[in-house]
Amino acid sequence: MEYIVETRKLTKRFGKEFAVSDLAMKIPKGEIYGFLGPNGAGKTTTIRMLLGLMQPTAGSVRIFGSDLKKDRINILKKVGSLVENPSYYPHLTAAENLEVLRKIYGTEKNRVNEVLEIVRLSDVANKKVKGFSLGMKQRLGIAAALLNRPELLILDEPTNGLDPSGIIEIRNLIKRLPSIYGMTIVISSHLLSEIDQIATTVGIVSKGKMIFQDSIDVMRTFSKQSVVVKVNESEKAWRSLMAKGIQGELHDGKILLVDKTDQEIAAIIRNLVQNGHDIYRVEEDKRSLEDIFLQMTAEEERV
Amino acid sequence: MYHLLDAEWLKLRKSKITFIMFVGPIVGMILGLTVSTDMFPDEINHWFSTLMVMNLTYALLFLPLITGVLASTICRYEHQAGGWKQLLALPVTRGKVFIAKYLLLIVLIFAMQVLYLGAVVTIGFIHQYTDPFPMEIVWKSILGGWVATFPLAALQLWMSLMFKSFAAPLAVNVIFTLPAILAVNSEKVGPYYPWAQPFSMMYIGGDTKDVFFIPWEQLITVVGGGFLLFFLCGYIYFQRKAV
Ligand SMILES: Nc1ncnc2c1ncn2[C@@H]1O[C@H](COP(=O)(O)OP(=O)(O)OP(=O)(O)O)[C@@H](O)[C@H]1O
Ligand SMILES: [Mg+2]
Repeated sequence: MEYIVETRKLTKRFGKEFAVSDLAMKIPKGEIYGFLGPNGAGKTTTIRMLLGLMQPTAGSVRIFGSDLKKDRINILKKVGSLVENPSYYPHLTAAENLEVLRKIYGTEKNRVNEVLEIVRLSDVANKKVKGFSLGMKQRLGIAAALLNRPELLILDEPTNGLDPSGIIEIRNLIKRLPSIYGMTIVISSHLLSEIDQIATTVGIVSKGKMIFQDSIDVMRTFSKQSVVVKVNESEKAWRSLMAKGIQGELHDGKILLVDKTDQEIAAIIRNLVQNGHDIYRVEEDKRSLEDIFLQMTAEEERV
Repeated sequence: MYHLLDAEWLKLRKSKITFIMFVGPIVGMILGLTVSTDMFPDEINHWFSTLMVMNLTYALLFLPLITGVLASTICRYEHQAGGWKQLLALPVTRGKVFIAKYLLLIVLIFAMQVLYLGAVVTIGFIHQYTDPFPMEIVWKSILGGWVATFPLAALQLWMSLMFKSFAAPLAVNVIFTLPAILAVNSEKVGPYYPWAQPFSMMYIGGDTKDVFFIPWEQLITVVGGGFLLFFLCGYIYFQRKAV
């Protein structure tokens, strides 16, 4: 498989603490890679190392098949990025900010207007960025990342601090990009819900370690279904099921049945009815991806 | 490299740089206008005596101090809102960024020296000097003063890259610049103290046998050596800086 980004044993230590440890990130071409993890998991640190802004303590980074250390300039020509809070020159206008970067990339002059159009900032192109709202600065940051028509776009929490409509807008913008340019996108977030509709592959980090990395469909299969049964005399009912060797959990007077087939559920209900229990409710409780994500990272915390 | 300088220039042009550049020459001009040159005997060229008076504060204080302020200014907009991480994630080497900033800095200092020369000439016109303009000596002084700031500019650039705040590099600058007042009066320390060199190299009363107003050995060891040391330290620091 052709990987656009591949890290091997990537490690970063600050003092005694490992912000990133032995990270093996693999991003196939053309994917939208959701890079997830709770606050302080090491996402930004990883991204800084991908861009050569920070030297790894150990390990290597390969992008477009070349070693970042050896071929940094050629790699960065084809990468666009937005790291953490948006970067900008406050004393310049939006257009001037992009012009500074354009000069260095050597892209054609009109590209500035094009990217301003893409992020819908054309109206304020000649206003100083100092006075921009966070959302506008965020969009300017994305415009800057698109300036060189990158093959790899790295966005670190691009929706951080935005209101819901801003989030939706950025999400729609990002969704359009691969089809326009055929690019590979890495987008980090601490909320799965922000990317679950756009990501095709996910990598989950917790405490600097990669704890899951696969397609989002594989992640969905982790969302086990459970059935919640509300009965009278729930404890007695639960004991009778246990006595028959049926695994279940008792929770707030409800019986939780995890991962059962339809036949098994039918048999359990029949059993309860025959034992004279009143069944008030039988509900399906499908765990959301967010729950799985939370559980995965919580499990890691406990270790 | 050209593209990088072009980009730097755009950022700089829109900042408050012009104001800063005029401070030194204007203060020099005010001094030249107000301070009397009566203490010099009348047979001395008036341009000479004026330059002597103006150089004292300008070369000893303003030139080194404003060199530092200019260094901080060209780094300030990078520190303000994540400029470094954006700039260094572009396809440029850090070495080139450092050199571009340094070149820009010394070009600015040169422009300031030219403005200062303008101030001197203006005063001469105001006072209607009739003495011949000592072109060669004045240029020697202006160029020499510029060359003498090379090590200072390198140190101040290094400090400005390291510290986000405006105050820290300025403090370093003041701490090293003020003793220059004492150093220039000492035959022992004066020739070796880098912050005293702008004054020594602009001091038109100095020895004129060499190209500048200081001996070659002093120019090479103190100015050249200081430049090399500070430039390399700054360069290496910037290579490793995590942003
Ligand atoms: N320059 C630094 N010096 C020391 N420690 C650091 C530095 N940068 C990050 N860390 C530490 O490394 C860990 C990972 O930080 P990082 O910013 O990569 O997390 P993150 O996943 O991006 O979090 P968030 O969701 O809050 O952005 C944290 O514990 C942080 O305190
Ligand atoms: Mg982060």
